Amino acid sequence: MAEFQWPWEYTFPPFFTLQPHEETRRQQLKVWTDLFLKYLKHVNRFTIDTNDQNLPLFFNESINRRLSPELILLILEQLQQSGHAAPLDKRRQEWHVYHYTLEEYGNMVYDWIQETGQTNSICTLYELVAGENSTQMEFHNMDEDVLLNALRLLEGKGKCELIEMDGSHGVKFF
Amino acid sequence: MRRRVGLGAIQQQKLAAEKYKDKGADLQESQLEQMTKQMEVFRIKLEEFAMKHKDDIRKNSQFRKQFQEMCAAIGVDPLASGKGFWSVLGMGDFYYELSVQVVEVCLAANHKTGGLMELDELRRRLIAARGQSALHQEITKEDILMATKKLTIFGNGFVVHKLGKGRYIVQSIPGELSMEETNILSAASNTETGRITKNQLIKDLGWTEYRTIQALEKVLGEGLCWIDKQSEDEPSFWFPSLFPGRNAQMVDA
Repeated sequence: MAEFQWPWEYTFPPFFTLQPHEETRRQQLKVWTDLFLKYLKHVNRFTIDTNDQNLPLFFNESINRRLSPELILLILEQLQQSGHAAPLDKRRQEWHVYHYTLEEYGNMVYDWIQETGQTNSICTLYELVAGENSTQMEFHNMDEDVLLNALRLLEGKGKCELIEMDGSHGVKFF
Repeated sequence: MRRRVGLGAIQQQKLAAEKYKDKGADLQESQLEQMTKQMEVFRIKLEEFAMKHKDDIRKNSQFRKQFQEMCAAIGVDPLASGKGFWSVLGMGDFYYELSVQVVEVCLAANHKTGGLMELDELRRRLIAARGQSALHQEITKEDILMATKKLTIFGNGFVVHKLGKGRYIVQSIPGELSMEETNILSAASNTETGRITKNQLIKDLGWTEYRTIQALEKVLGEGLCWIDKQSEDEPSFWFPSLFPGRNAQMVDA
């Protein structure tokens, strides 16, 4: 996998301190939220723990600067507002973060099913994310839990039906 | 008979003095006339020269610089003459166009630079913005300084600050930088990474602690610099416009 290209801000020490100036802070949070999404997509991670002290995203060892838990939470809340993150526990420590919103993922999967003529047949979630046919798709290798949430949204719109079999999930698209 | 000393002699002297004066004025006049003639000839020659080397002036930065210097020496401002002969040259157009590009480039980067940009960076960005086709229209720092001078008519929204050692910083946000702020900026520009702290300023500028804190709060409050609270000893203040890492990445991208 290619080396992740950090933005210049990542080497700018005050980037790790929440800025008091309103405009600057907005700009700072914008760069952070973009960076969160890009980085997690690059390493293909969908869950992060705010206590994960040594995640390079939270900690730039070369300049010895780290994000405070408060700042991490602030960034995640921004992502939540735009539909790119959701807390997994009440204490808001574990989070789902997704490069595309659940709705976008749902539509992607649905369009792909339509294009490849798989409507009305049942497939497992594993097939969707790990199947040979979907390697070129953005949702290939995605977190099954996140996919499940995206499909639940689709189900709510009546575009598919989720079926539980032996503890794993299957889905039928209409 | 003894020669009379008196009125006659004085009058004679006076007459002589007047004649000298007249002659002097005459000489001066003719000299001035000659000078004017010479200047006129020179101006015509300069115009001819400018016409002949019109393309060179527009395209060759070195040539343009020397031409500017020559014009300045005899008191001709090719930019000020919008009408008549000089407009044929398009010198004014060149700088007006450049000014507009300067504004565009600065405003586009304002949200990242906080409204301050070093002249070197501005030049790089300008060259990039002008595109490949304009490769032969190389621009020098002098060109940019000349162009930014034209922008002062828009008030204090666009000012060039000298930071010493041939370094300039272009301010593209409204409002005047106070002496204090300019001093802080200078101090920061003398560091490698554009970073300063309170104690450093007290030491470098001989300010009192109170004055330093006030001044730092002002630059921070105007969004010109960022604060880093994770430094080892005391909070440090960073100017993104002076941070070298920013340009390194920009070139890569």
